[in-house]
Amino acid sequence: MIGQDTSTLVAEVRQGRPPLVEAAAPDLDLALVEIHGGRGRADLEALRELWRFREVVGAFVKRQVLVKYKQAFVGIGWAVVQPIVGALLFALFLGRFTHIGSEGVPYVVFVLAGTSSWSFFSGATSNSMESVVRDQTLLRKVYFPREILPLTAVLAALVDFAPALGTVVAATLLTGIAPALTWLALPLPLLLLTLTALGIGLAISGLNVYYRDVRYLLPFLIQLGLFSSPVIFSLDVVPERWRLLYGAINPAASAIDDMRRLLIHHTWPQPGMNALALAWALLLVAGGYWLFKRLERGFADRV
Amino acid sequence: MAAAVEFENVTKHYRGATAPTVLREELAHRTARLLRREGTARRPVVRALDGVSFEIPQGESFAILGANGAGKTTALKLATRIAYPTTGTIRVRGRVGALIEVGTGMHPELTGRENVALYGRILGLGRRDVEARFDEIVEFAGIGAAIDQPVKQYSSGMQLRLGFSVAAHLEPDVLIVDEAIAVGDAGFQYRCVERMARLVREGRTLVFVSHNTSAVETLCQRAILLRGGRVALDGPAPEVVAAYLDSFAEERLGGDGDGAAAGTHLEILRTTLHDGAGREVAEVRSGEALTVRLHYRARAPLAHPIVNVGLVDPRIGCFSIASMLRDGGSPEVLAGEGTIDCTFAALPLLPRAYEIWAGGRGERGFGAILEWQRLRTFRVVDPRERAGKGSVSVAMNSAPVEIPYRWTFGSRDGDGA
Repeated sequence: MIGQDTSTLVAEVRQGRPPLVEAAAPDLDLALVEIHGGRGRADLEALRELWRFREVVGAFVKRQVLVKYKQAFVGIGWAVVQPIVGALLFALFLGRFTHIGSEGVPYVVFVLAGTSSWSFFSGATSNSMESVVRDQTLLRKVYFPREILPLTAVLAALVDFAPALGTVVAATLLTGIAPALTWLALPLPLLLLTLTALGIGLAISGLNVYYRDVRYLLPFLIQLGLFSSPVIFSLDVVPERWRLLYGAINPAASAIDDMRRLLIHHTWPQPGMNALALAWALLLVAGGYWLFKRLERGFADRV
Repeated sequence: MAAAVEFENVTKHYRGATAPTVLREELAHRTARLLRREGTARRPVVRALDGVSFEIPQGESFAILGANGAGKTTALKLATRIAYPTTGTIRVRGRVGALIEVGTGMHPELTGRENVALYGRILGLGRRDVEARFDEIVEFAGIGAAIDQPVKQYSSGMQLRLGFSVAAHLEPDVLIVDEAIAVGDAGFQYRCVERMARLVREGRTLVFVSHNTSAVETLCQRAILLRGGRVALDGPAPEVVAAYLDSFAEERLGGDGDGAAAGTHLEILRTTLHDGAGREVAEVRSGEALTVRLHYRARAPLAHPIVNVGLVDPRIGCFSIASMLRDGGSPEVLAGEGTIDCTFAALPLLPRAYEIWAGGRGERGFGAILEWQRLRTFRVVDPRERAGKGSVSVAMNSAPVEIPYRWTFGSRDGDGA
């Protein structure tokens, strides 16, 4: 039956109000949004829209960090514990029984530098894979450019990475390695990792809305990536002449290796390999963005 | 005048449930299509909206009416860019505040305060703007100190109140409100209606979807009626509300069948209507006698049963009842098959569709022998009426009962002056 209890209230409002018809002069300067049917496009307009929402990106990152801190028992500490435990395990089993070159530093320090940057990379991709599905309630309520979600996920992982990086630096210093100018080049491999994670994250977060099997695929790929990237071994094991190709194919590989080298060996990142990897990473981001925008319009219908 | 919201030939299809949900299938499907170089059978789609066009001028309060599944929520989702049209164009001017479906999209782990800040940001307000309105928002939502608790600890009512409060206070140029406020308590609903009315007076545009037709009539100037994803009617709110309510009656007039009802002890085989001369009729004239004849079958002899027959207007509920409990007209016994006639001497009803409900109880009113339920729908017509559009819509929106009345006029000056 029709809402009985409001009808009397409505009647009250009715009596006390002047007619609703008279209204203030319309404002003609309001921003016009025009929505056409068809697929979404990853064009300049899409980027401009994202730029308009830049403050929202900050708010979302803050939200995710806050939530993580509130939810998890160990909070942000988890980001530190994970690579350390990983490093200890690898050091215990691999460092003991095999002879993997560790570039002249204790294997545990060597591998810690690898697992930290890898856990940032894998964390960022899997975090962004879930990002759209995780925020489906918000998605069904309010508009914002949806790529903010995977973007936020990657940026939040970057925030998580800060204490882990601090741990690596501390371990390096404890080993007796002095800080050097090369440490200033840290942002370069970090940027490479971030872009790669973002490219993969954009593509896979969009697909994850539509296809249930994506979330089983990613952990497998991450596992595969762990052993095909120089995390537990040095890039030295790859023959010299294949190294450039290897680094170009796997942009995470050169970044992880560079990050370790500039910390431990004070060597600068190699320009050729990095240029290739950067081009690759940018291509990944562009492709991921294109796919995401193509899929984006159906998100609210599917989640 | 520029339109605040404009739909131009908008169509929205949903992929049916047959769409692949695993990547493996999708890839297989695509490869198959590529190899055969021809379109495999097109997947079925659901047409939620089908060529919908309408325009809402700035400052207008506008309602979208329609039965469940008519496409109301879809239209709102398209206007708020939550979902996208399949074809067609939608234009929206200005900031949109929206409350769509139940729930608010707030993050359960964050406090109310943190959620408000985030929401404000998404709606495009600066931190200062949000802070400036913060107290007002909390005050309106009436949640007090709970604003600093995580939203997961809120009751659904509190979440709704905060959600509405945020949407309605963060300076929207267009406020879009779906069914949502129906969840709040009466006091909150009252304040929502008041708040929406105020926004409209300030020159904001309101788009309102509700089954609460009296709220729609109060708030809205204009409305459209959606039926099966198409605009069935576009006009002044009272007229559209009337048509909307009538469409249900219309449906029932056709679909009621013969007014049968199965009871635990008493079964109604069919219900017929008769005029003053005893002739079976389908429509009843206003002001004339009506006999409701229940053709019953008693599963076992029923001593002193109480039978009630009610006249119902779906807008206001049961407004007149013939009850054997009140009038003592209970028969000695009802057994086997037979008829019960309930005659209303003269129906003081204005023309439109009404319902007949009936129910029965055992001796002295103990125990149900027939659940209170709708038997059939009938239409009252007025032969006197010069069926002008105006008179019909007045009748539709006023009370159903016309008690005989007359006007007299007095004058202070007295007769001789």
